[in-house]
Amino acid sequence: MSKADSQTLAEKSLLDLIIRTLNLEIQSDAVDPKDALYDEGLGLDSIDMLEIALAVSQTYGVKLNADDENNLKIFSSLRSLSSFIEQHRSK
Amino acid sequence: MSRTLSQEQLWLQRSERGTASVIRLVVWVALRLGRPVARALLWPVCAYFVTFSPQSRMASRDYLTRILARRPHLGDLFRHYFTFAACVLDRVYLLNDQLDRFDIEVHGEPLVLDALQGGDGCFLFGAHLGSFEVLRSLGRRQPGIQVSLVMYEDNARKINAVLNAINPALAMDIIALGRSGSMIGVESRLAQGHCIGLLVDRGLKGEGMVRRDFLGAPANFPLGPFRMAILLQRPVVVMFGLYRGGRRYEVHFERLTQAGEAGAETISVDQLLDRYVARLEHYCRLAPFNWFNFYDFWH
Repeated sequence: MSKADSQTLAEKSLLDLIIRTLNLEIQSDAVDPKDALYDEGLGLDSIDMLEIALAVSQTYGVKLNADDENNLKIFSSLRSLSSFIEQHRSK
Repeated sequence: MSRTLSQEQLWLQRSERGTASVIRLVVWVALRLGRPVARALLWPVCAYFVTFSPQSRMASRDYLTRILARRPHLGDLFRHYFTFAACVLDRVYLLNDQLDRFDIEVHGEPLVLDALQGGDGCFLFGAHLGSFEVLRSLGRRQPGIQVSLVMYEDNARKINAVLNAINPALAMDIIALGRSGSMIGVESRLAQGHCIGLLVDRGLKGEGMVRRDFLGAPANFPLGPFRMAILLQRPVVVMFGLYRGGRRYEVHFERLTQAGEAGAETISVDQLLDRYVARLEHYCRLAPFNWFNFYDFWH
């Protein structure tokens, strides 16, 4: 069973956005939505995170708040970021 | 690469371990006994470190050999250490708003105001060259300018503790690196019209580094800050606060992206980094003993 089977549709389209934005050379179905985005996991760095945040606000109209204590949690995995977006999206 | 990285981290760690207690002592001596006495004490302190810190001595000798283009003698090494120690000491006074003690010559100040004119903030890229704290003189002359510094989380915590010890009234806005949401903080500060200050000659663990010729040999530079500037399309200003001996400081501002370049969007990340490295080299040559990276920079 590929890991993509466990991705929801929303997670899949967010992952596609991330891969496109950062020109990542990974297959989207190889990503477990519960894997960490930062450091280990997808191995993204803090500037990558910034790029994702900008792309997310453009695409979904979700503004990520700088001083939000939850940022660490929101960005911890594809799943957490996706569910945050689904709750707050305006586009 | 992993060996050299860990060497750098070792140096960072080592200097951190020393700092906590040393800084408290330095602050006490500086404020209670005054600058002349404190400076006199720097002589034995520097003699001690020149003698008993073989690794930083080696790094100092390596750097000085490159910049002076000759074999440095003991006096050069001592001067290098002393310049560093003098700047550390003066930080106490600068952070304590005792700016009148110093002759601070500022070059290119209008460039910063110019870069901030759009109201969208700008980046201030510095280096571990001289004193970043003299930037405070700018803040005082131009009270409208707000500076947020981006730094390592550990350092941020420590610096805040030190600031409290020196002058609790100092509200230094520090964005801690190393958390996944930290860069978003940069964007929102910019939107409020802040300057974002970073020392971009050193990298962050785990972030991309690239090689660039610096003083005649390839050295590692972090790509992150330059990517960030391009990504957020803000003007980039370099800032170097050079210590010129006695009570003299020279602050230099230069636009790294020109006004016509509409922030940073028309030049590439590589070009921006190349420009920075060229300016860093220029100011190193202008004030050779201000280089405060006491580890093997060219590993």
